[in-house]
Amino acid sequence: MPDKPPLDPFAAWRDMVAQWEKNVNQLANKSMASDEFSGSMNQLMNVMLKSQQGVSEAMVKYLATLNLPSRQDLLALGEQLGSIESQLNRIALLLERQNRHASPAVARKTPPRTKRPLPRTTPQQPS
Amino acid sequence: MSGQTAQRESDSLAERIALEVERTIARSIKGVEYIASPAPAMGASPRELVLKDGTLNLYHYHPMSDEIYRVPVLMVMATTNKGYVLDLAPGQSLVEFLLRSGYDVYMIDWSPPRADEKRLRLADYTDRFIPDCVSLVRERSEQDEVSVLGYCMGGVLSSIYTASHPGDGVKNLICFTTPIDFSQMTLFQKWADRRFFDVDRLVDATGNVPSEMLFQGFQMLRPASQVAGQVNLWDNLWNEDYVKSYRMFDRWGMDMLPLAGEYFRDTTKKLMWENGLYHGTLEVGGRNVRLADITVPLLHVVAEHDHIVPRDASKPLIELVSSEDRQEVVLKGGHISVAAGANASKRMWPKLDAWLAERSV
Repeated sequence: MPDKPPLDPFAAWRDMVAQWEKNVNQLANKSMASDEFSGSMNQLMNVMLKSQQGVSEAMVKYLATLNLPSRQDLLALGEQLGSIESQLNRIALLLERQNRHASPAVARKTPPRTKRPLPRTTPQQPS
Repeated sequence: MSGQTAQRESDSLAERIALEVERTIARSIKGVEYIASPAPAMGASPRELVLKDGTLNLYHYHPMSDEIYRVPVLMVMATTNKGYVLDLAPGQSLVEFLLRSGYDVYMIDWSPPRADEKRLRLADYTDRFIPDCVSLVRERSEQDEVSVLGYCMGGVLSSIYTASHPGDGVKNLICFTTPIDFSQMTLFQKWADRRFFDVDRLVDATGNVPSEMLFQGFQMLRPASQVAGQVNLWDNLWNEDYVKSYRMFDRWGMDMLPLAGEYFRDTTKKLMWENGLYHGTLEVGGRNVRLADITVPLLHVVAEHDHIVPRDASKPLIELVSSEDRQEVVLKGGHISVAAGANASKRMWPKLDAWLAERSV
């Protein structure tokens, strides 16, 4: 008859934690898969969005009264900066392309594309 | 119980207690180090930004091999997460592994979309961003063909792109844990139930969908795991490798990206509600997307214990494509551990290399 595994309270404690995690996740997933949970969660989200919208609208009026820029104004500014950045990136790419065509030797810094896979029988090893 | 067995158990218990005392001392020392030290640096492989277009970043990694395979590899990261999970640290990086194995590697990595990028739709990703990158990779590498590798939603985008741009030079398609049948993502389906979830209201109110909201959604899939993770971290504080790995994955998991509003609206309606990719009814940029139009060699890597993309959600990819050369690999592990970390380096990476090498010449 095989020997019983030696007593290990630490291993038992670790098993207990793993089991607790599994059980709680299972239980929570089961309750979260209900219509009631989904309905309440989305209702809560709608309430939060509505209140956020209310605060946001009030803030715009308040900032306008103080003659200060609102978030929308700053976003519009950001949008313009983003558009300039995109244009610059496009110009940089075009210049790089031209440079590559003009001096292909510079462009070809990569190693030769001649690598072949190892024969199937040999275990694959990084070169 | 025999006297001998009782003696052995008592010795063993004494050894275990001695070990635990040692570990408790080590935990106290390492615990202070853990709190005091900065987060580990990630995204270790040298790379160059070769294209930036708002939320899109295309990186080219510096080759690490004397000769490389003919066909370059373009990785497409999930839109909710940063790409450094595939390049965690030297020795734990899929990117580094591919570079050392002789591949020429590019990666599409996403930045948080700017406020004005809330207008980006699904079509902007599959008909503009990915085609632009494929075109640039082909141009830079002076090759007509590219292997495209997509992770999670990156796999969805890559599949849509490959199906709808047959002449673009995709040589091979590799997908990691890619959902296709969205009806099988049961909890997400429930939470996004159109009877309760007003996606229009959310997108109209927020513009871009905040990352905190997405993070909470993912956390809710396994609500006890964060607490259990902390307990396990304390238990393993003596173990430097465990702590390092925990910190890297924990940081990455919390470092989520917001989603462009219209893209979120599109994916919710077209993928979650209509399940268009699975049914072949998806329309993107005025074109019907059918997975059956994918004919290039396909490798799909899925995880046995994936709690984000269950097996039933990812299974149909291999069934729906028309590729004669197609293979699905089911590996032990979860959604992230199948692609990144110590286990992935032993299980998945060599399989990927074996499959891709002979198709990259």
